[in-house]
Amino acid sequence: MHNGSGADALVIDGLHVSVDGMPILKGIDLQVPKGEVHALMGPNGSGKSTLANTLMGHPAFEVTGGSVTFKGQDMLELETDERARLGMFMAFQYPSEITGVRVSNFLRMALNAQREDEISAMEFRRLMMEKMRLLRMDPKFAGRYLNEGFSGGEKKRNEILQMAVLQPELAILDETDSGLDIDALRIVADGVNTLRSADMATLVITHYQRLLNYIVPDVVHVLIDGRIARTGGKELALELDESGYEAMTAAQEA
Amino acid sequence: MAIDARAPGLTRRSVDDLADAQREPDWLRARRQAAWDLYEATPNPRRTDEEWRRTDLRWLQWESLTPSTPQDVVGGVPAAVPTAALSPSITVLVSAAGARVIDVSPEAQSAGVVALDLAEAARSRPELVRDHLSTTAVSPEQGKFQALNAALWQGGALVHVPRGAVLAQPILVVACGDAALQQPHLLASLGEGAQASIVEWWADSEAGSPALVNGATELFVASGAQLTYAHVQALALDARSVLSQRAVVGRDATLASTNVTVGGRFHKARVEASLVEPGANVVLNGAFRLGRRQFVDHHTTQEHLATDGTSDLLFAGVLDGRARSVYAGTIVVDPEAQRTNAYQNNRNLLLNSGTRADSIPRLEIMADDVRCTHGATTSTLEPSHLYYLRSRGLSEAQARELIVEGYFEAVLDRVPHEGVRDVLREVLTGQTPADRDAAGN
Repeated sequence: MHNGSGADALVIDGLHVSVDGMPILKGIDLQVPKGEVHALMGPNGSGKSTLANTLMGHPAFEVTGGSVTFKGQDMLELETDERARLGMFMAFQYPSEITGVRVSNFLRMALNAQREDEISAMEFRRLMMEKMRLLRMDPKFAGRYLNEGFSGGEKKRNEILQMAVLQPELAILDETDSGLDIDALRIVADGVNTLRSADMATLVITHYQRLLNYIVPDVVHVLIDGRIARTGGKELALELDESGYEAMTAAQEA
Repeated sequence: MAIDARAPGLTRRSVDDLADAQREPDWLRARRQAAWDLYEATPNPRRTDEEWRRTDLRWLQWESLTPSTPQDVVGGVPAAVPTAALSPSITVLVSAAGARVIDVSPEAQSAGVVALDLAEAARSRPELVRDHLSTTAVSPEQGKFQALNAALWQGGALVHVPRGAVLAQPILVVACGDAALQQPHLLASLGEGAQASIVEWWADSEAGSPALVNGATELFVASGAQLTYAHVQALALDARSVLSQRAVVGRDATLASTNVTVGGRFHKARVEASLVEPGANVVLNGAFRLGRRQFVDHHTTQEHLATDGTSDLLFAGVLDGRARSVYAGTIVVDPEAQRTNAYQNNRNLLLNSGTRADSIPRLEIMADDVRCTHGATTSTLEPSHLYYLRSRGLSEAQARELIVEGYFEAVLDRVPHEGVRDVLREVLTGQTPADRDAAGN
C-alpha cells in the first residue's frame, strides 16, 4: 500500500474471530487509509460478513485474537453505538424492518446522537431532501416505516441514504449489490461515488466483480477461508471474474 | 368484631343518602335501589368464574368499601392532564362531589352541546338520561362491579352532542379525586349524524390517588353519527381500578374507540361495543404500557346484532419489569347479523423475561355469511433490531425506546383525530407512572 496507514486509518492486525466456538477469521491483516476505497472479495463462507459485523461490534462474533484500531482508538473496546458515534458506518446486507419508526425520525435521532448540538428541524429537512435527490428517492420515502415493505432495492438505497446523511469517516458496504438490478446498482454506486472523499475510508464487500465496475476501488483484497489470500489493484477483480475463486483457492492450497 | 360507626361500609342506606344529597328524581332513586339489590344478590367474583380465572381480586375487601364523602372536592384539572395540547371544546371535571363544567368554547356553545353533572341532568334533562343510564349499555345485571357503580355512582357526567352537530375540538372529561372508592360514570350520546370526539381521563388529583376506582362509561352513537372516543388511565401505582365501558352503535354510525392504560397497579377493563343496527362500523383500539408489578386485564366484546356491520379490534401492549397482562376478546355474531366483518388482534411485546401476557380469543358466530378473523402474537425485542439501530449511533436505551414507540404506531394510526392521537402518543411515550415509581417519587 503506497499511501502508508496514517493515524486515521482502519488498521486490522492479526484478527481472529469465532462464532459459536468455530474459527471463521484466521488472522486478518488489513489497512484502509482515509481517502481510499478498498474492495474485499471472496466466495460464500469465506468470512466477509463476519469481518464486517465484527468491525461493527455484533455481539455474536467473538474476537479471539488480534486488534482493530480506527482513528488511533481500540475499536474492540467499544460498543456498537460508540463505534458509530466515532464515525463508523456499515450498510447492512439485510437491514432490519422496524415497524412504526419513520425513516426521517430515525435518521434525525441518529444524526443527533453524533452531534454536539441538535440539528434544527428545518436544517434536517433540507439535508434529507438533498440526499434523497442524490439517490433519486421519492420524498414520501422519509415518512415510511423503516424498511417495512421496502423492496430489495429500496432497502439498499435507504442504507446509502443513511450513509449520506450521517457522513461517516469509515464506511463498510456489506454486499450492497446483492439483490439489485442494474439500474438500482447504478444509482447506489453513483451515490457512493458522490460521497467518496479524502475524509472517508471505504471498505466495499462483495462477492461479484460487477459492483466494482461502478465503484472503482483503489485496492482489492481477496478473502478465502478466513485469510487474505491476495491483495492487488483494481485489475485483480477482473482477473477473479475470469478465473474464479476456485483457481485461487487451489493456488492457496498448493 | 367491633363496629366502627365512622366506617359503616356500603349499605342500602348509602344509596338513599346519596339520592337525598343529590336531590335525585324518584325514577333515578328507584334505579339505584334496584341496582343495589342486584349488587347484594350477586356473588363476589371468584377465581372459578371464567372472567376472573387469571385475575386476582384477593386484595378487595367488599365489606370494607365505604361511600365517598362529597368533601372529596378537587381543585382544578390536574397538571398532568395535557389540557393545552388537547385544546378541548368543553372541559368537565368529575369527582365524588359531582361534575363541574369548566370551559365551554363558543364552538360547543353554538353547536348546542350539553355537558352537565349527571344527577343534575337527571332532574333538568331527564329525556337525555332516563332511556340510557344503566340500561342497554352498562347495566347492573352484568356483574358485581357494574351493579355497584349503578347503585352508587358518584361524580357522573352527561355529554350530549345533538343531532347533526359537528364539533372539531374534543370534549375532555377528567375524573379524579383521592377518595377510597371513586365511582365516576360517564354517559355520552351523539344524536343522528353528529360528529364529535370525547376524551375521558382518569388522573390522580393533586392531593393523591384514589384507592379504588370503579367507573362506568356508556356511549350511545345514533344513526350516521361519528364518535372518536379515548379513555386514558394514568393513575399512580398505588391505585386500583375497574372500568366497565360499553358502546351502543346505530345504523351506519361509526365509533373509533381507544383505551390507553399506563397507570395503576391493577386495572380491569371491560371494553364492549354492540352494533345494534345495520351498517355500524366500530374500531376498537387498545394500547397499554406497563412496568414494575402492574397488572392489566382487558375483556373485550364485539357484539354484532345487525347486518353489514364491521368491527376491527387491535390491542397492543408493551410489558417491562414484572408486569402482567390478560387479554380476552370475544366476537359475537347474532344469527341476524349477516354480512358481518369482524377482526380481532392482540399483540404483546415483552421487554424482559419477568413479564407475562395471556391472550384468549373467543368466537361465537351464529350467522353463516360472515368474515371473521382473530390473532394473537407475543414477541420479545429482536436483538438484530437493536444492533441495527445501535449501528447508527443510538444508545441501547434509545434503541429500545424507539422500537417500543414504533410498536404503538399501529394502534395510533387508527385514531382518526390528530389532536387526540398526538396526546395519546405522548401518554405512551412520555414518563409513565411505572417510570416515576421506579425513580422513587
